[in-house]
Amino acid sequence: MTTSQSTYLDDPTANDPVMEIRNATVRFGMERGESRVLDDVSIDLERNEIFGVVGESGSGKSMLASALLDAVVEPGVLDGSITYRPQSGEPVDVLELNKNELRQFRWEEVAMVFQGAMSSFNPVRKIDTHFIETLTSHDYDVDEGMERARQLISDLYMDPERVLDSYPHELSGGMKQRTLIALSLILEPDVLVMDEPTAALDLLMQRSIVSLIEEIKEEYDLTILFITHDLPLVADLADRIAVMYAFEFIELGPTAEILQHASHPYTRLLLKSTPNLASPIEAMRPIEGSAPDPVNVPSGCSFHLRCPLADEQCVDVDPRAYPVGDGGDHVANCHYWEDAPETIPMTEEWDVEGIDAIDSAPGPSRADGPLVSLEDVEVHFEKEGGFLDFFSDPDTVQAVDGISLDIYENDVVVLVGESGCGKTTFGKTAVGLQEPTAGSVKYKGQDIWDLKRTGGDGSMSFDAVRRALQIVHQDPGSALNAHRRVGTSLEVPLKRWNPELDGNDRKSRIVSLLEHVGMAPAEDYIDRYPHQLSGGEQQRVALIRAMLMNPDLILADEPVSALDVSLRVEMMDLMIELQEQFDTSYLFVSHDLSNARYIAEKTGGRIGVVYLGELVEIGRPEEIIHDPQHPYTQALRWATPELDFEGGGMGGESPVRNIDVPDPTNPPSGCRYHTRCPEAREVCTTEHPEPREASAADFHEAACFRTDERHEYWQSPSITDD
Amino acid sequence: MTSDRDRTDPGRAEKSHESAVSTIPDGGTVNTPFDVVSEYEETRRDRLKKLYDTYVYAPISIIKRDWRARIGFAIVLLYVFTATVGVYLIEPTHVTEGPGLAKPFETWEYPLGTDDMGRDLLSSTVHSTSEILKMILSGGLFTVTLGTTVGALAGYKGGVVDTVLSSITDVFINLPGLPTVMVLALMLPITGNPYLIGVLLTITAWGGLARAIRSQVLTLRQEPFVEAARSMGVPSYEIVFKDIVPHLMPFVVINLTNAARRVIFSAAGLYFLGVLPFRNHNWGVTLNLAYSGGAHYKTGALHWFLMPMIAITGISIGLILLGQSLDRVFNPRVRARHEKKLAESQLDEVEPEDDDSETMIGAA
Amino acid sequence: MVTIGWRTRRLAQAAFTVWAVITISFVLIRLMPGNAMGAMMVSFEQQGMSPARARELVELRLSVDPNKPIPVAYVEYIASTLRGDLGTSMAQGEPVAELLAAALPWTLFVLSWSIFISFFIGISVGALMAYWEGGKLDVGLTSWAILMGSIPFYVLAILLLIFASYRWGLFPSGGRQPTGVPQGFNVTYVRGILYHAALPVFSMLVASGVASLGMRGNSIRVLGADYLRVARLRGLSDYTISTQYVARNAVLPMYTTLLISIGEMFGGSIVLEYVFNYRGLGLLLFEAYNQRDYALMMGGFVLITVAVVTTLFIADMTYSWVDPRAGGQDSESY
Repeated sequence: MTTSQSTYLDDPTANDPVMEIRNATVRFGMERGESRVLDDVSIDLERNEIFGVVGESGSGKSMLASALLDAVVEPGVLDGSITYRPQSGEPVDVLELNKNELRQFRWEEVAMVFQGAMSSFNPVRKIDTHFIETLTSHDYDVDEGMERARQLISDLYMDPERVLDSYPHELSGGMKQRTLIALSLILEPDVLVMDEPTAALDLLMQRSIVSLIEEIKEEYDLTILFITHDLPLVADLADRIAVMYAFEFIELGPTAEILQHASHPYTRLLLKSTPNLASPIEAMRPIEGSAPDPVNVPSGCSFHLRCPLADEQCVDVDPRAYPVGDGGDHVANCHYWEDAPETIPMTEEWDVEGIDAIDSAPGPSRADGPLVSLEDVEVHFEKEGGFLDFFSDPDTVQAVDGISLDIYENDVVVLVGESGCGKTTFGKTAVGLQEPTAGSVKYKGQDIWDLKRTGGDGSMSFDAVRRALQIVHQDPGSALNAHRRVGTSLEVPLKRWNPELDGNDRKSRIVSLLEHVGMAPAEDYIDRYPHQLSGGEQQRVALIRAMLMNPDLILADEPVSALDVSLRVEMMDLMIELQEQFDTSYLFVSHDLSNARYIAEKTGGRIGVVYLGELVEIGRPEEIIHDPQHPYTQALRWATPELDFEGGGMGGESPVRNIDVPDPTNPPSGCRYHTRCPEAREVCTTEHPEPREASAADFHEAACFRTDERHEYWQSPSITDD
Repeated sequence: MTSDRDRTDPGRAEKSHESAVSTIPDGGTVNTPFDVVSEYEETRRDRLKKLYDTYVYAPISIIKRDWRARIGFAIVLLYVFTATVGVYLIEPTHVTEGPGLAKPFETWEYPLGTDDMGRDLLSSTVHSTSEILKMILSGGLFTVTLGTTVGALAGYKGGVVDTVLSSITDVFINLPGLPTVMVLALMLPITGNPYLIGVLLTITAWGGLARAIRSQVLTLRQEPFVEAARSMGVPSYEIVFKDIVPHLMPFVVINLTNAARRVIFSAAGLYFLGVLPFRNHNWGVTLNLAYSGGAHYKTGALHWFLMPMIAITGISIGLILLGQSLDRVFNPRVRARHEKKLAESQLDEVEPEDDDSETMIGAA
Repeated sequence: MVTIGWRTRRLAQAAFTVWAVITISFVLIRLMPGNAMGAMMVSFEQQGMSPARARELVELRLSVDPNKPIPVAYVEYIASTLRGDLGTSMAQGEPVAELLAAALPWTLFVLSWSIFISFFIGISVGALMAYWEGGKLDVGLTSWAILMGSIPFYVLAILLLIFASYRWGLFPSGGRQPTGVPQGFNVTYVRGILYHAALPVFSMLVASGVASLGMRGNSIRVLGADYLRVARLRGLSDYTISTQYVARNAVLPMYTTLLISIGEMFGGSIVLEYVFNYRGLGLLLFEAYNQRDYALMMGGFVLITVAVVTTLFIADMTYSWVDPRAGGQDSESY
């Protein structure tokens, strides 16, 4: 157990802390012994700064948030001292407040935004009630307060009347999250603690909210503590960044310092393991090992088990905070902070052009015609109406609306887009798990739904299709039957498709595959239940299960987004390796352009951009990343945070005119993107663009009039003046 | 499984793929895993031992740890013992075995007293147990089997199957229990066969279970693991009974004990009214005799009521306790903790306190 | 695919159930071997009636004409049932519908009080148990709830009859209204009615046991919800949190338990009214059974079912006002 403090008190540039945290420790008594989920943390929060805290899951960062409001959940015990210094008046010792004072302190002085906006509202009460009851509980004037609420909601680009009159379930995830931000500011607090406020949202929404946070911070004079697992996201926003590992801070400094001169090996490895658009894919490396258990934190430096620089000193002596550089505002808890940049270089491969790698990538074989061919696929779901809707037309969600795509052998296609855009539905259609309401899905030339119903011409059975098309899900925890052991789950495909194998043959095959993906000793893993595996291990089992079918095409539905950042690259590498060994194709679905780029670039695949049920652009990653033609692709590109090593700052103004995705039951006429497009003109509202060649590069198509130099678009008046 | 067994080395297969740079620590590369056939062997003994672990050892050790389960099990076992062995220990009673309405706890001949015809109440209570248990068994199994099957099929298959099954289910949900049984008893030729009566008593009871199971299956069938099974071409019935039903087991078990309770309540109630045919005396019949014999206003006749009442209440307490605790047996987390092999190696993670999971990201 | 509102569908489903029940009763009367109609014919003929006269009587009693072909008889039976013509009671010689109508209010009176009080107790006790989860009070009340759930209501009814009525003389031992008091809306009469209904209502309170266990579970779940944590941080008063947050969200799932209880209590009224000799629907049915009064029995059966169907329908409809999230479920075919 580490005993040293992580102390960062000597910041000469700013001397007006709004909150001072000293030796904050949170303990839990557990069966296996006492665990410290926050380990002697001391820090100053400067007035009007945005302070970013970065850490992986289980690093103690949420506990820090709870500690600031003295809201640690029982049976956790918080020690240390937390002092709040209001603009005027006496400093407040937060941990000494009585119940009533604490009730006033929370929300009036320090408010908090949780990541679980979905469940932060009372499901049976309207939104306005939440605002009103907060105001009355704190004896604020309700009329004045509600005026402020309306202002806040419209500052967050929402319609106040509609939002206030809704029940929580009637709002989309992004709207709920923004409403929660408005609710947190209703009592005009000085400090806002945001705990993963955007984790459940799409990149575009995340990025939009992040830019709103900056505006709001200025307007309402706030100090913000922003907690996240996403280093690139906070890098755009924060003035200072602190990195947490194993329940304590291991490095802290101004954002630019951390990005350019990270000195703790963990920070450096974390930076390298984060997929992004700028650095070459060869530079991205996973961090070996896993984060420690709170009961069993390693002695000395808690990172020494995973650290390439570790020696005996690291095992024995817990490193103090060493000042890095001359500024005095950058500190790292590492004995060898001076050696870290050399041992873990960030830039050595920067000279190599990332593009070079692509030539060597295997790429698809197009000679035999497409493996799976989708033509004008439409999937429409009907929504149930109410009693009074009996006579009106039923609402139809056009999840997929006329997408065509060919997937070849050894091909990789990555679909990106916001949630609800239909990319998963389209993916499931491609692997025969969702029947299209129109259009055709062909496997090696055979319409699979015809085959299922009529048996086709007898040259192929539906069973063969079923075997050839597989799926790997986003959440590995629910992709495995919780009641079945790993071995039993993995036996299913073998029993179904290799009846000639007996129990021992099946088992030996499973054992060898498990060991192959690094789950050793496999005999031990076979008898485990899914809940006894880590997320990464669960995903491996799910992957093996699909591979045991020896499929031709695997739909991988966000396969890494449920995993910790540092494990993502490793999982993607494993999937790519298995693709080569098993000769399969992938249809990836991702909401994250950096992950999409990593996979597509490494395999020589394509990226397809989906918006409201339509494929708006498709092409090689080089084109999609560096030469996007469709304005929506450009917006996604903007929304993907970059680790800008040259210094912080957002990449320009938001390129979308509307933050929220239009209602898919009633998509906009003409080009569906025209309601958000910064380039939209009159003609876009009436005419629907067809996909056409977008650049000189191969396989690059986009559905936008702007790719056609002679289109009437260029004469049409703009509609973006509002 | 023994730890000293030779472990298969997948790397034994020839390594012909040089291109792949393995990022996997400790795995090695194989040509294709379909080539690998190792001499991995599991003996019959190993397998039996594993089965014993799963189906006998783990459930028993779970039950041993929970006081509710222990008491519930003890009570139910006592009734089963009474019905099987008790009938040989205590002679059947007959009219004028003792004096009418003898008080309890006065003589060993009829320790719990007698009714107004001089029948030994202990003996008549003991000898009615087996009939009641038969009714419970048939009624409970009937409810659970029909309810689970209909609910799971309706929920999983959907479409026309669902519409038909749900409509039938809804009719049965709306039928009031006791009146329906009375009408059927009035209209149909029903004998005193306890198994038949058990089914008759639960003829309306399965509907509620079927509806609840259906709505749970509607949720479960959207789960990724079910979708994965579908994509592997696993037949529907196998998905329903191997993937979905195990998730419903805790719920089914609680309903099994509830159905059993309902059988006792309605059986005793209807026998009390005297509307069901019977072959031997049972608790309900005794209540009926006591009521029509005026035991509620006669002095010194209270014990006539109490014996059957205690018998009815006792077994339903046992069933409630059992139902509340048995669901743990089906919980994989609890199971894993109690299986011998894994008990030593503390594999179970303690729930992380710092719950910043990222599983919500970007659900498409 | 036709999409209709779930309310419409719910209405259609209720209508279907009523139709199914009437059909079942027709099948039982007319088609089953040894059916009611045959039995009546035989008994009338044995009494020395001419077959023609016997048929006439049977038709009058059951609304089913033995002579007509089955489909015609079926349509006529349904038509007369829907008109409210349920035949004539054999034993009492009066129209079944009138007999039932006179008895129904008394049963509804007892049942509504029973349901109201037992859920009130169940919800309060369940909330208390959840609040002090794991404490002594929780253990004590849980044991009480398990005991309540294990006692059939008629056992409690008999015990109450013995003690509260015969031994201690606190309440009358039977009947539904005071004797010798003019009927009408006067204090003595109303008090007498309440007095007579008290023991039946108390007997049904065993339902509060199961209800409180359900409420306990729901409350514990809500107490762990995210929105509760946020509400506490927002500094809402304990009163607001316990009523508007915990209670409201925990009570909603109790609706299902309530619905099931309604059906069960209707059925239970037969035994209950027998014990207390309370002249309501249940006792009427019990007598009909004993006298083999087929028309009254079937009429009562149809009436109780329609009452249950109607209650459940109304409850489902009102639920969507209480819980804004309520609505239909879709069921796509695989």
